[in-house]
Amino acid sequence: MTAFFDIVIGGVFHAAVLFLVAAGLQLVFGVQKIVNLACGSFYALGAYFGISAVQWAMAAGLPAALFLPVLLAAGLVLGLLIGPAIEALLRTVYDRDEAFQLLLTFALVLMIQDVLRFFWGANPQQLGNLVMEYGKLTLGTVQVPAYNVLVILASIAIALGIGAFLQRTRFGRSLRATAENREMSEALGVNVRWMYASVFTLGTVLGTVGGALVVPTAAASLDMPVELVVEAFAVVVIGGLGSMRGALVGALIVGLMRAAAISWYAELEMLAIYLVVIVVLIARPAGLFGRPVE
Amino acid sequence: MTALIATEGVSRSYGAFVALDGVSLSIAEGELVSIVGPNGAGKTTLVNVLTGLLEPTAGVVRFKGEDIAGIGPVRLARRGMARAFQLVHIFPALTVAESIAVAVISQTGRSLRLFACAKKDAALRARVREVAAIFGLEAKLDSEARLLSQGEKKLLDIASAFALSPEVILLDEPTSGVSSGDKHGIMRNVIDAAGRAGVKAIILVEHDMDLVAEYSSRIVALTAGKVLADRPPAAFFSDPEIIAAVVGKRVGKLAQGA
Amino acid sequence: MKLAFIVATLLVLLALPSVAQPYYVTLVLPAFAYAIALLGFNLLFGYTGLLSFGHALFVAIGAYGAAVLSSKLGVRSFELVLLLSGLAAVAAAVPVALLSVRYVRIFFGILTLAFGMLFHSFLFKFYDLTGGDTGIRVLRPSLFGNGYEALDKTAFLVGPFYYYCLALLVALAIAMWRIVHSPFGLHLAAIRENPRKAEYLGVRVRFFRLIAFLISAFYCAVGGTILAINTGQADPELAYWTHSGELVFMTVLGGFASFFGPLIGAFAFIFLKSELMGATQYWRFWLGAILVLIVVLFPRGLVGIGQALWTKVRRA
Repeated sequence: MTAFFDIVIGGVFHAAVLFLVAAGLQLVFGVQKIVNLACGSFYALGAYFGISAVQWAMAAGLPAALFLPVLLAAGLVLGLLIGPAIEALLRTVYDRDEAFQLLLTFALVLMIQDVLRFFWGANPQQLGNLVMEYGKLTLGTVQVPAYNVLVILASIAIALGIGAFLQRTRFGRSLRATAENREMSEALGVNVRWMYASVFTLGTVLGTVGGALVVPTAAASLDMPVELVVEAFAVVVIGGLGSMRGALVGALIVGLMRAAAISWYAELEMLAIYLVVIVVLIARPAGLFGRPVE
Repeated sequence: MTALIATEGVSRSYGAFVALDGVSLSIAEGELVSIVGPNGAGKTTLVNVLTGLLEPTAGVVRFKGEDIAGIGPVRLARRGMARAFQLVHIFPALTVAESIAVAVISQTGRSLRLFACAKKDAALRARVREVAAIFGLEAKLDSEARLLSQGEKKLLDIASAFALSPEVILLDEPTSGVSSGDKHGIMRNVIDAAGRAGVKAIILVEHDMDLVAEYSSRIVALTAGKVLADRPPAAFFSDPEIIAAVVGKRVGKLAQGA
Repeated sequence: MKLAFIVATLLVLLALPSVAQPYYVTLVLPAFAYAIALLGFNLLFGYTGLLSFGHALFVAIGAYGAAVLSSKLGVRSFELVLLLSGLAAVAAAVPVALLSVRYVRIFFGILTLAFGMLFHSFLFKFYDLTGGDTGIRVLRPSLFGNGYEALDKTAFLVGPFYYYCLALLVALAIAMWRIVHSPFGLHLAAIRENPRKAEYLGVRVRFFRLIAFLISAFYCAVGGTILAINTGQADPELAYWTHSGELVFMTVLGGFASFFGPLIGAFAFIFLKSELMGATQYWRFWLGAILVLIVVLFPRGLVGIGQALWTKVRRA
């Protein structure tokens, strides 16, 4: 029973983090129709930067228990800094063929790979046992790291926040309108340029925060950027490109599958996920919640 | 006269919305039938059913006696019906010659030849030149399609449909976007070319009533998914109720002329 | 003019082993391999308009085909290895293509990426079969029955194997040239330009895309086989999605809208990468920066730059 709960909590935790990255992907795709191969790179940047931020903070005397807010802040700040810069670069290819947009994001993957290497070196980095600062929660007969639960709650809060933002605010409505029909939106006075910049930055922030939140439980390594992309893609394919609900459900499915596979049959780990992706793309190319295309 | 293409009681609904309601019409060899009606009357739906793109929710649609419900554009072309669109469809980066060649090659069924040289095929080049000449595009054979004027692109679109040597060709507003001076010229060219190319029947979807009056052998008027009238031009235009329903208030000139 | 360039390049390539240091010559072998792979890849991308982010899958099949055939099944004939690996790739491509050509644009890219990673995962995890992350050794093949046992590895690679691969590249390039200029090739271009209209002209769009896909898989496998023999090893990273990304990079670097673009791109990329790797440990960064430049400023690649310069020179 304990093993089962471990898998569930582990899976949901992973899903919580994956959801953030996938949500970022979905927003950017939904509005700008760009698939960002560099989403994993933003995630990795958030992870490494988060580690550094915590290390600085603790060296400066901050009590260890405050590391979660530090991570959140680090992810947020980094995302806000690099989002607009990268969006400005992407702006040069907005009106070009999709292939070029994809390639530009691939170029970013390459470049950010070495940026990580330059600032943090080739060895994986981690935060040691900081997770333990928050202790463990006892739920019935099982013990769960409180940190994991906090992250899951944070992710849920963010999901609800994004939902409310999209449904209830004026900006959110403009965003959804632009996603549906860009020209119409422009004609109705939406400042599409500003919208694109904001959406991309929001997507970036979600990625960097996701990365920052994961580091107490996993090491930050140079493999992160390229490995996460595939998982994130699996999530958006299963959930449906452009759908927030899809990101949530897809993340849960991928997170839980991965946790189950690792425990039961390690060889299958990612293989199972790719198979599901392929099956979904064939049976229901729009994913669970996406809109049918072609 | 056996019908070349015919629908019997064709209906098409989208949920509660009825786009076509019991439409029966037939088109025989030698006819040029125009389909007219206000926007939303169901012309596009009818055309899509006639060209095998949409399956009717009731009724049959036959081409040369065979059921063509929903067979799709590729099989339709192979059976001998071609369609030219209202919105210009071209191959932007291909030259005029290449665009026409695609149709010619596809029609001969020798598309899978992987190692033959397309440019050196003399018969192919002759045929391409022939089709281009019919539409006055001979001078532009080596120009890329995207560099043509809007009118020329329209002609190319129709020309490539012709190059399929179809038995029936469906023209969807072929002169829209063309200046009024050219419209009659284009229509005459197309009808002339059709005759020479062995096209047996033309279906025309048009809003321009002058053209419809001048060139149709029969006019089918649709309103709200039903056939309002199916008559030759003289009978069509001498009935003021039909004109009012289809054309609105442009009664003056037509009532005099027809 | 073009012919002059081609002949000149061929002469240079023929002379290379005699005049250059073996190090440089061994660099040209991967260039040959990628040039062949890209000829196939660009049939699908440049000519048919489908961007696959999973074609490294077929390169890997070529490599592992060579490895399994030589190390585990004792097949030493290069001709047999090429043929069998190529056919294996085509066989694998059939289900992938059947499933993928229904979709276009980004869905096609993601689906092919998924298939590529599926294979990578398989190679990585099932180490009993595939050697896991170390891969499988590739043994030297015999060329037209001749084993060249007297030559050591390097001498073999920069000697008979080099010329064989050059001849193979020329032969496959000629074949691809004919394919591209055939009625089939014209249909592919039509499909790229306007698939819907192509359908109305009676072109079976999915079927043609499938054929193009299968041909591209074959070419990529041949490239993979050459790569693996050159390094002596087939390893799973060949199937990773970033390797697929590099295939796209090379193609666009050279110029995807031209027949020779991918060939130039292959050579340019291999040399660029080699020089950068020698100069700095941050070579990925500079490669990425170059890709950014190409995408933003020179989308027609080196061929495009060359054509623009040539026009300027002629006007002056």
